[in-house]
Amino acid sequence: MIIAAIIIAVLLIFGIGIYNSLIGKKNQVANAFSAIDAMLKKRFDLLPNLIETVKQYMQYEGDLLTKVVELRAKAASPNLSNEERLDLDKQLGSSVKGLMVNVENYPDLKANQNFLNLQSTWTESEEQIAAARRAYNSSVTDYNNAIMMFPGSIFAGMMNYQPIAVLANTEEERKNISAKDLFNN
Amino acid sequence: MAEETATGASLQIILNELEIQRKKVSDIKTKAYLFLAGGVILIAIGVLLGSLMIAGAISGGASIITSIVLFSNSSQKFNDYRHEFKQRVVATVLKSIDPSLEIEYKYGLPESDFINSQLFTQRPDRYRSQDQIYGNAGKTRFSFSEVHAEYKTETQTKNGRQEHWHTILKGIVFCADFNKHFNGLTVVKPKDMGSALGAWISDKMPIFSSSSKQLVKLENIEFNKAFVTYSTDQVEARYILTPAMMERLCELNDKSAATISVSFIGSYVYIAFPLEKDYFEPPVFKSLLTTKSLDEDLSIVRFMYAIISELDLNTRIWGKE
Repeated sequence: MIIAAIIIAVLLIFGIGIYNSLIGKKNQVANAFSAIDAMLKKRFDLLPNLIETVKQYMQYEGDLLTKVVELRAKAASPNLSNEERLDLDKQLGSSVKGLMVNVENYPDLKANQNFLNLQSTWTESEEQIAAARRAYNSSVTDYNNAIMMFPGSIFAGMMNYQPIAVLANTEEERKNISAKDLFNN
Repeated sequence: MAEETATGASLQIILNELEIQRKKVSDIKTKAYLFLAGGVILIAIGVLLGSLMIAGAISGGASIITSIVLFSNSSQKFNDYRHEFKQRVVATVLKSIDPSLEIEYKYGLPESDFINSQLFTQRPDRYRSQDQIYGNAGKTRFSFSEVHAEYKTETQTKNGRQEHWHTILKGIVFCADFNKHFNGLTVVKPKDMGSALGAWISDKMPIFSSSSKQLVKLENIEFNKAFVTYSTDQVEARYILTPAMMERLCELNDKSAATISVSFIGSYVYIAFPLEKDYFEPPVFKSLLTTKSLDEDLSIVRFMYAIISELDLNTRIWGKE
């Protein structure tokens, strides 16, 4: 009788432990996504300033600038899903990169202190978003492992927890390695 | 090139001068050892022969006293020689690598900095640090010092308490201004049995790990084989440890005989290299002119200097000058 009670108590404690850890992991994923979101917001906030500064100098990059302005307007809209925000960020990243490459043609802009500050803040935010995406992927992997492996899988089935897809690597996350490969060739 | 030859020539002059000083120290030390040995032999003969005990004791004692005087004399001379070696030879060698490099051989990494770096969780009970070398490599300011940190344990034996000293680190601690802004703490520790178990506990049973630092699971397999990473901020840890930075740390680790420890705190990066040898010490019984020890000193300085470019710390595009 006592032994049976002990076994039930131990099983119960284990059950609660697994249940709590699954919930913890799911919350961790949500928390990691909010970190990406915060970084994205920081980045979108840089745009008006960047557009203003660049507009004064870059007369011949009308198309690129218009595209950035359009994307910025889209990013400001409040009803965006997570995927849409990430996609917008990706497009913004490549458009702004296009602008930065063309800066070479505008010596005045290249010498503008305000622009230089914006440029370094932009690179900083790019690396921070890359870091936040990696942190998100790590917590998603953690969560997926927990719900797919025994005994977590039993609980996940009962709680209707589904695996979450990891974010595909962006160019920023891969570029360090490919840059090295380039030099080696 | 011309400058290099000039440095080489002036170094040769300094070495020639110091070689004379070294010979004096080595002569006095040799004499001191001879007198000590002679004294011991005389006393032993006196004891063995019995009848000559007093004569043996007097002459042996006198010989030992002479050796003590010579030893103290030699230690004074050795300190002068050591001072000259560090101030002139090491300093000149440093300038040949980068004009900004300087040595403060009496100073090292302060104990408080060693503790604050959080490279090691064990607090030292005995701490010595010397031979601080500092300067700039490009835009990045850095320093490194020899450190010997130990902690004490006590065991109860029949004859009372016995102290045991254990080394936390004997080697060099390198410190440089990091090229990105960060607020928290990130520590990269060698992966051994203890740290692997600690990492497992903090991952599987977070309730039992009291630390404010969380385990950071990174993607680089090679990196994870060598190190365990903890941080106060998961995103910030990855902002610092980019895929490229992890590769660079692995490369740096491959060049070091024992696994390095790295910490990022208060806008600095600290790296601990466990090393057997004492660097920047002048030879006494070997000639200064032929010895290889200067080459070893030179190569360790070059190694430390190269870390800045290896970790790419001069790339300052992330808003930190």
